This record gives sequence, C-alpha cells and structure tokens, in this order.
Amino acid sequence: MRLELRGITKRFGSFTANHRIDLTVEPGQIHCLLGENGAGKSTLMNVLFGLLQPDEGEILIDGEAVHFTNSGEAVRRGIGMVHQHFMLVPVFTVAENVVLGFEPVKSFGRLDRNRAREEIRHVSQTYNLEVDPDAVIEELPVGIQQRVEILKALNHNAELLILDEPTAVLTPQEIDALMEIMRSLAASGKSILFITHKLKEVKAIADVITVIRQGEVVGTAQPTDSEGDLAALMVGRSVNLTVEKEDVTPGEVALEITDLVVRDDRGLPAVDGLSLSVRAGEIVALAGVQGNGQTELVEAIAGMRPVESGSIRLRGRDVTNATPREVLDAGLGHVPEDRQLHGLVLSMSVADNLVLNTPRRAPFARRGSRNLGAVAQNAGELVQRFDIRTTSIQSPVASLSGGNQQKVIVARELSRPLSFLVASQPTRGLDVGSIEYVHRQIVDERNGGLGVLIVSSELDEVLALGDRIAVMHKGKITGVVDPSTSRETIGLMMTGAHAEES
Amino acid sequence: MGIVSEVSVATAPTRRAHQGRTRSIGVIMGLIGLFTLLAFGVGSGMSAQSSLTFNPVNLSGTIPWHVGTLTLSTAWTNIVLALAMIALAVEVNLRLPARGVMVRFGVVAVLFFFSLLLWAARTGGPAPINFVNLTAVLVGSSALAMVLIYGSLSGVMCERAGVVNIAIEGQFIGGAFVGSMIASTTHNFIFAAVVGALVGGLLGLILAFLSLRYLSDQIIVGVVLVTMLGSLSSYLNLQVFTPFPQYNTGNLAPDLPIPLLAKIPLLGPVFFNQTGFFYLMIVLVALVSFGLFRTRWGLRVRAVGEHPKAATTVGIRVIGVRYVNVIVGGAIAGVGGVAFMASQGQFQPGYTSGLGYIALAALIFGRWRPSGAVVASVLFGLSVYLADNLQTYQIPVPTEVLGMFPYVITIAVVSGLIGRVRPPAADGIPYQRD
Repeated sequence: MRLELRGITKRFGSFTANHRIDLTVEPGQIHCLLGENGAGKSTLMNVLFGLLQPDEGEILIDGEAVHFTNSGEAVRRGIGMVHQHFMLVPVFTVAENVVLGFEPVKSFGRLDRNRAREEIRHVSQTYNLEVDPDAVIEELPVGIQQRVEILKALNHNAELLILDEPTAVLTPQEIDALMEIMRSLAASGKSILFITHKLKEVKAIADVITVIRQGEVVGTAQPTDSEGDLAALMVGRSVNLTVEKEDVTPGEVALEITDLVVRDDRGLPAVDGLSLSVRAGEIVALAGVQGNGQTELVEAIAGMRPVESGSIRLRGRDVTNATPREVLDAGLGHVPEDRQLHGLVLSMSVADNLVLNTPRRAPFARRGSRNLGAVAQNAGELVQRFDIRTTSIQSPVASLSGGNQQKVIVARELSRPLSFLVASQPTRGLDVGSIEYVHRQIVDERNGGLGVLIVSSELDEVLALGDRIAVMHKGKITGVVDPSTSRETIGLMMTGAHAEES
Repeated sequence: MGIVSEVSVATAPTRRAHQGRTRSIGVIMGLIGLFTLLAFGVGSGMSAQSSLTFNPVNLSGTIPWHVGTLTLSTAWTNIVLALAMIALAVEVNLRLPARGVMVRFGVVAVLFFFSLLLWAARTGGPAPINFVNLTAVLVGSSALAMVLIYGSLSGVMCERAGVVNIAIEGQFIGGAFVGSMIASTTHNFIFAAVVGALVGGLLGLILAFLSLRYLSDQIIVGVVLVTMLGSLSSYLNLQVFTPFPQYNTGNLAPDLPIPLLAKIPLLGPVFFNQTGFFYLMIVLVALVSFGLFRTRWGLRVRAVGEHPKAATTVGIRVIGVRYVNVIVGGAIAGVGGVAFMASQGQFQPGYTSGLGYIALAALIFGRWRPSGAVVASVLFGLSVYLADNLQTYQIPVPTEVLGMFPYVITIAVVSGLIGRVRPPAADGIPYQRD
C-alpha cells in the first residue's frame, strides 16, 4: 500500500499538535517516524487510524483520498495499528481478541469460534507467528501479547502496519525478534510505519526516516546518518549523548539491602529474596524489564510498601518498614517512578511542591504555621538554580511541561542534605535536553560522595549512568556487572540468565 | 462496582491471603450451627413436635394430589440440620475451598431460618400456628427471588458494558407505580409490563445520558435517581392513589398453570404454576446468558466493559453499546418492578425496601453472570422471605431486629466476597475518546 499524508493539521483548542505534516510511505518500506515525547507522533497516528479527525489536510491510500470517522473504517482500508499500550482485552482469549469487531458468525449472531481459530492458525502460519488461539491474554508474556496485536492487524488484512513505540516493554532479545518480524513483513510487501524516539532502533531498521519536532516535520534523514545528527535534528540543537563521569573512589556502604521480600498489590512476592549494596560516591543502575519488582523494591526503600522479610539499612541505620516520614528524616532522596502520582501534587503551586517533603520543618514552618516568605524564597532560588521554566512560582505545577515537572522533583530532592538518592525512571518522557540536565545533576551528586540507586527500563540510561549495573529479573538480582558489559549479555540477564552463564 | 475495586486474580499467594478470611467465615458458620444445635435442637425439648405441610394454599381445590402432613421431632430434626451446618463449617475450615464459600454460607443461613421456623412452630412454641407449609415457603420466596433476578439481570446488562446501575431500586419503584396504575385501568398485565419497561428504560436513559454524555459519577446519579423516585412515588401516591384507590387495587397477577407439570407435588406449584412474569424472567435469563457468552453482540458488550479503548480501535461504538445496554437494563428492572407489584397486588410507597440493592449484591455474588445471579437471588430470596415471615411466627425478638436480617446477611455475604471476584475492568469508569 502506498500511503500519503498531505498537510495534516490537528489542533486541540489553541494548541497545534500537528502542523501541515506531509509523509509518504511506499509499499514494502519501513518508514520511521522519529520524534521526542510530545512531538505529536501519537496524535498523527491517531488521525491516520481514524481515532481523531484532522482539522486540515488529507490522507491518500494508493492515490485515493480517504476519510475515516472511526478506526473500524481505517482497518477496513488495510491500516493496522500495534498500540504502545496493547489494545487487547486481558480476560479474552487470543482468538476472541483477534476477531473482535470482525467476528465470524453463525445463525442468530452466534460466534463461530472454530472459524476464528482457523483464521488465526492460517495467519500464524502465513507469517510464521506462532500463538495458541485459546490462550488467555493476561496469562501471556508481553512479547507474545505484542505478537497477538500484530496478528490482529494482519488478520484484518492490514497492508500498512503502524507500530507505536513497540519496543518500550520488550527485552533486547524480544526487540531483535520484533525487528526480524518487521523485516519479513516488509519483504512480503507490507508497508510499515515505525514510531520511536530510540535512535539505535531507527538506525537498525529504517529505510526512510522522517523527523518531527513540536508537531512539524523538520526533515528527513538516512539510517546511515550518525546518532548525533539524528538527535540534533530531533531536538533542534546539538546534544551530548554521553554522560561524562569523573573517576570517584566509592566510600563506605550507604544502602544495604539483605534478603528482601516485598509483595505486590496482588499479594505475590514481587521482590523475592533480593540483596544489594550501594556505596557512597557510586551509582548503581538497576536494569530490568518493567514489572520484575523494581517498582516494589523502590517503594519498600521509600517506606511506601511493607516489607515482608529481610532488611534495608541506610548508612547503617535500619529503615526496614519505616514510615515515609522516617525514611525522609533519615536523608533519603526519592525521585518516584510516576511523578504525577507520587512526586507532585499537580494542583498545588511550584513553590509548595518544592517543599512537599519538608513542610513542617524550619524555616518553612514554625509552631504549626507556615512561613510563606521562606517557601517563596526557597522556590525562587531553586527555580533559578535548576532552570525550571515556569511563568511564576505560584503557578500550579500541572501547568509545567513534563521535563520541568521532573526538574521540580529533582530540585526538591537534591536541595536538602541527603544520605542517599533513589531515582526511578528519572528521565521517562523527558526530551533529550532535559535528560542531559537530569543526568548531569545525578552525576554531580555522586561526585560529591552520595550513593545513588537508579532504576531504569532504558538500557541506554543504565549504561550511561551506572558505575555498576545490577540486573533484576523476577524479584531477584541475576548479577551485578561492569558498564562495559555488552548489551546482549545484559539482555540475557534481564531474561533470568546469570552473569557467569551468559 | 466501586465497593469491590480492589480485586485480583485468584493466584496461589492471593489464595493464601484469602484463607484467613475463609477460615473466619467457616468459624462463623460453625457458631451459627452450634447455636442452632443448642437453642433450636436440644433447646426445644425432646417431646416437642413440628409439622411440615406441603399442600399449596391456592391450588388445594384443583390438585389431584394431597400430601399428608409430616410430623417430626423438633429436637431431632433441628439437631440433624445443625449437624449439617457444622459439617459444612468443618469442611470449609479443613479444605479452604477457593470458590463457593459464600454459597455454603448462604445455605447455612437458609437452614438456620428454617430451623428457627420449626422451633417456633413446635408444639408449645411461641407461634400461633403449629405447622410450617414448605410449599408456601418455596412459592413465597420464589416471588422475591424472581424480583431479585430481574434486578440482577438489569445489573448484568449495564455492568457488563461498564456502567454501574445503582438505580435498580428506583426502576423497581417506577415500574411498580405505573404498573399498578396501568393494570388497574386496563386490567391487562402485558400493557402494565410494557409501560413498566418504558419507565425503567427512561430512567436508564437518564442514567446513561448523565454518565455517558456528562461523565457524571454513576454511583451518585444512581442514588439520586432512587431518592427522586422514592419521593416522587410517595407524592403521587398521596395525590393519585389515596383519593382514587380504584387505580391501585386488585392487581395480583393470575397464576398460569402449565398443564400436567403444574400438578407435580411440591415442584409444580413452585415452577409451573406461576405468573407470566415468572416465565418471562426465565426466558430473559436464558436470552441474556446466551447473548452475552455465545454471540457476537455479547463479545462486543464484554469488550466494551473490559477495555473500551480496545473496542474503539476495532470500530465498536463504545458509547452506543453502553446507551443500548443501560436502557435495556433499565427496562428489565422496570418490568421487575411491575412483577413485584403484581405479586403484592398493589403499589405502596417504600415497599421495595432495598430489594434493588440486594439485587446488586446478588449480581456481585453471581460474578456478573446471569446464571450466578440466579443462584444468588434464590439464596437471598429464601432468606429475605424467611426473615420477613418470622414475624408471623411471633418469635420473641422485636420485629425491627428481625427486619434487619436480610440486610445483615447481604452485608456478610458481599463483604466475604470482596477480593475474590473480579468485576468487568472498566465497570463504572467514564469513557472519553481522547
């Protein structure tokens, strides 16, 4: 299928998410759409998939203008989409999910389950994507769920496949497998539109690259272009992709975790006998596929989740099952995974959010009443020092961009004396410029002798920041390795293989 | 339902987490059994006797059979019943079953009430009558169970599509009020049912409109509708039915015996000598059950209730499906209201007394499945009926306290279920297309 977008414009109120976007995908081509979070990639795809209607511009399929009022129509015209958050009903079987919306029926509108199974077997065989049609989605691993998403699109005879940030939840091995699938689909004549912000993947697979920034196409690039050039095009200025780290000799043990067991919300042991120690003046980066207990581990350290057994010691002090207040008093800095849920009170001002963890302490409060002057002064200083872009310190923090919201948290956590810093996904959703800045701050703290634990599902970040890399799988550390270790080895460890085996 | 939002799949460690609760439910069951054993068994004296009769009150003239009275030793019968209850309790404590604990609890509750009736009706007991008519008990509770089934079916329709319909009670009231008026004036229960369905459907439309168009909180809209209908019906009752009682009288729906089958002892009166509303209920259960789990329509409805965004991406109109289901669900509850009115003979303000909420409990108990809702409604119907009728047996307990029983059981059963059953994932969550 040849797809052409001409001058697509989409506005939300006064905000223009897409401005006059032109894009052409040729049959059998893997076309990468590269852009930062918030650049307008997802909006454009939702327009193309009929979930949103464009304000201007047109979509042409094989030269013919089309207009989709819902995604069922887009699917009927041969467009298939693999969403970043899978559009699969967890309690349905593979077959039920694949045929949903296009179900084979017998008399009285009865579902024809046998025919559904047959259809899936047929498509599975054609494209060599094996999956059990009767398996229930929620019991399948993420990689297989994504395969079901692809099958679903192919079963609806998709000629153009849109993959929206498909690698975020995958291990390096699963990413390789996905790339293989994409290549073979392209070879069979399907067009592929691959949306990502990861430069390595773009270079590995793209035939053509279109870069968008702030809702506009800023240029096209070749996969042979350097990562630095691609990043510069994506961000709009040259960026430093590597983090410069000075050599620091680590000091004494700052965080010591011994045989820790923590349960998740479902009562399952998410952290399952984990031991780890981090020394002062060192960054330990915790790598792993999302959902292997990292969230629960950090919550346990921060006092937000009960510890079942084992112990956590901060600078020799036992903080196992301490309350968040006690942990903060012990000097823990915590950049939480979900900044909007646990890091900020969105409706409160920047100034108030900057003292969120010390509101009862002097100088911000005295004898139970707040000292607003000190709060404002503190905010003024931090906004300047951490370059937080806000119209005023009294603006609600919700009005800030994601990167600036994260800066508020980082500023708050780093502006008081710390004994240890835990940062979970510190740069998730940030633009390259902000990532550079946050990384610099963390490395500076480490240079100043602070122990730091970074949790990240971005392997690039883990490799860039960590002095040592601990790999977590199913609640346990499968190994602690040097940052010079190959990505493949770390990827294998993320699937449970131990360092010495791999 | 909001009240069971913290739910999970029954995985091995989750099960362990539930075992403590299962054990305490088992202990409660054992205590009830023990109390029955001592108070109603041993406590009724070894010489006392209770009688069970089986002849239906309304069929006695025409039936070809006449089952004699069964006279039992009260003490021994109750001891046997108590031992059965204790055996269930022991079984729960030893096996810690993952499913069906609350069904066992419901059985113990029903046995307890039955045993209490035998005790009250024994020779020398407090009751003015000295027999228990088993057929009457079953027929009487079947009318309540029927109303609960209408209500929980309505809930299944709405919640499977992701909208919580807490207004079932209001739809009952609305259906009962107009049902009485139409039945009195036209003497035709089909008209009454149709108008009841329209009123219920209209209330469903209001709920759907406010919660789908304006994304209002569904629980609040539902409660407001119930409150509004309660007050409105009281007012209209005062303005219309009090001055013109001829519009609210003589509306007992006729029994339609099915030839031959109606004459089976005990089962006949319960299943085959019922009103049209009862047979319609059976048809509806079958239809909804078939529709939800066997058809394309059902797959789409469940997709909308589980993951509306996924449904949207394959071209299913989420909002449209929700409108249809909430309106149809409302109509079913409206017919349920007419059915309740037709089992009582007239409308009275406030006489649904929370049946709509008990129907919601039956829906949760039945795991959002029509078949499960039927089992739950039968258990709840029996216990509500028995608890209501304790008053006629003059049990030496204040009527107000007896009146609490059905609700206490409902609370016990539903709280015992929390964390064990999983509602549709998008239940009660407003949906907006980006």
